[in-house]
Amino acid sequence: MTFFAENGTSAVHSMNAWTKGALLAVVILLVIVADDPILLSVLFLFAVAFYAVGKLPIRLLIGWYSLPVFFVVTIAVLFIFTEPGDTLASVELLGRTLAITDAGLMLLLTLLLRALAVVTFSLALFMTTKYSHLAYLVSKILPRPLANIFLLSYRFNFETSDEISDVVDAVHSRNGNLVRGISKQTRLFAGIFGLSFIHAFERAERIAKAMEARGFSGEFPKVERLARPSARGYLLLSLVILALVFVAYSRYVNDVIGWW
Amino acid sequence: MAHVHLEDGAFTIEWVAIWTLIAAALIAIALYRLGGYAIPTRKLAIAAMCVAVGFAIFQIEIPVFGGVHINLTPLFGILVGPSLGSLAVLVINIFGSAIGHGGWGMIGANSIVNIVEVFLGFIIYRHLRNTWKASRFYAAFSATAIALTVSAFVALVIISISGIQGSAQGEAETFANLLVMAAANIATGMVEAVATGYIVSFIGRIRPDMLETAEGSRKPELPDSPAEVNASV
Repeated sequence: MTFFAENGTSAVHSMNAWTKGALLAVVILLVIVADDPILLSVLFLFAVAFYAVGKLPIRLLIGWYSLPVFFVVTIAVLFIFTEPGDTLASVELLGRTLAITDAGLMLLLTLLLRALAVVTFSLALFMTTKYSHLAYLVSKILPRPLANIFLLSYRFNFETSDEISDVVDAVHSRNGNLVRGISKQTRLFAGIFGLSFIHAFERAERIAKAMEARGFSGEFPKVERLARPSARGYLLLSLVILALVFVAYSRYVNDVIGWW
Repeated sequence: MAHVHLEDGAFTIEWVAIWTLIAAALIAIALYRLGGYAIPTRKLAIAAMCVAVGFAIFQIEIPVFGGVHINLTPLFGILVGPSLGSLAVLVINIFGSAIGHGGWGMIGANSIVNIVEVFLGFIIYRHLRNTWKASRFYAAFSATAIALTVSAFVALVIISISGIQGSAQGEAETFANLLVMAAANIATGMVEAVATGYIVSFIGRIRPDMLETAEGSRKPELPDSPAEVNASV
């Protein structure tokens, strides 16, 4: 994510981070408010188009989809057999009839479209926004203690992940994967995780001393200030917010776009 | 760790708002107990490192029962206490949402579930160690097992009350459907409980001072850093 954000050059990369952040918020609200599958499909395609305009790799996106798809399917699969609706297919199992209904499949589809639209847009945002801009956004949006924890941990996520991966690789290179038995496996990984926490605490103590020695006053200095959105950014946001209002009106007041 | 493994759009806007407000209230309490904007630098750094480790560990699969993921939220409670642990789990949920592990609108609901884990992990471990003089392994194992079992049902209740948007099923039917999910969470939680027991035993042998938050200090306390002294004045 950080590699694409720092090195990319596209229209989305040059878009103001406030604009992108506000767009993400509106997209999230849209997927919550909209319940029409056609509308959700359009929203998903818009998110994918936004990602593509950012010249970001589609193959990577498909890889990232595995998590949200897995989550949606594991929940929805419990519902597609029990959701009231017209039966599409049924099977007899242990004296019970399990039937997939049209409403159940539609539920799965709408949940997937909602999830993938937001995930696509989120990834596009993080992969096209420089760290310094993200840091500025976070410091303005979150309360200061939370922003400090977020920014510190963001920096050290990579180092910690590498350290744990190195330890796991070391275990495998020493035939640790030949260890058999739940207890032995769990002890082995518990040792790795325990060591990671000990190193993390020691690193935290060193970092805290270093920060205080450099006069840390409770707020990280901002390397780069973020300007407000441009006129075009405001126009884009206005249009998207208008769309949100229209969708919300159709959902809660007077259905003008429903087709199902 | 139990988690409301749902993406954005699964809950209606009202329930997203309700869970977010409840989580915000819990976080506000945690911030207040830590000293608000004057949280000592050392505690900020420790919370940040817990987030980094927790997020990294989440990506590792322990090869038992076909592969399970753990997040060690009760361990956060044992190591750093419920207040700092609450902040840590909130930031982990934010990172998770950024990569599609749960929706942005689910941060509130997920934070509530994880704060329950952190809190119960801390309280039960402390009670078992200090009152019942249980060993570190059994105290940590029991605290984690109970915390994760309770949080699995908390997640279940949250989803049942909120309902899945687009589903015509009522609370009772949703609850029945998700019992399978709760059972899977509880089973995974037992693996995490064993792992946490071993981790706490390991930490207790190498760096017992890291367990002082939950066990109480047994040695004279080290002098605070100047920033901590100034913050408390």
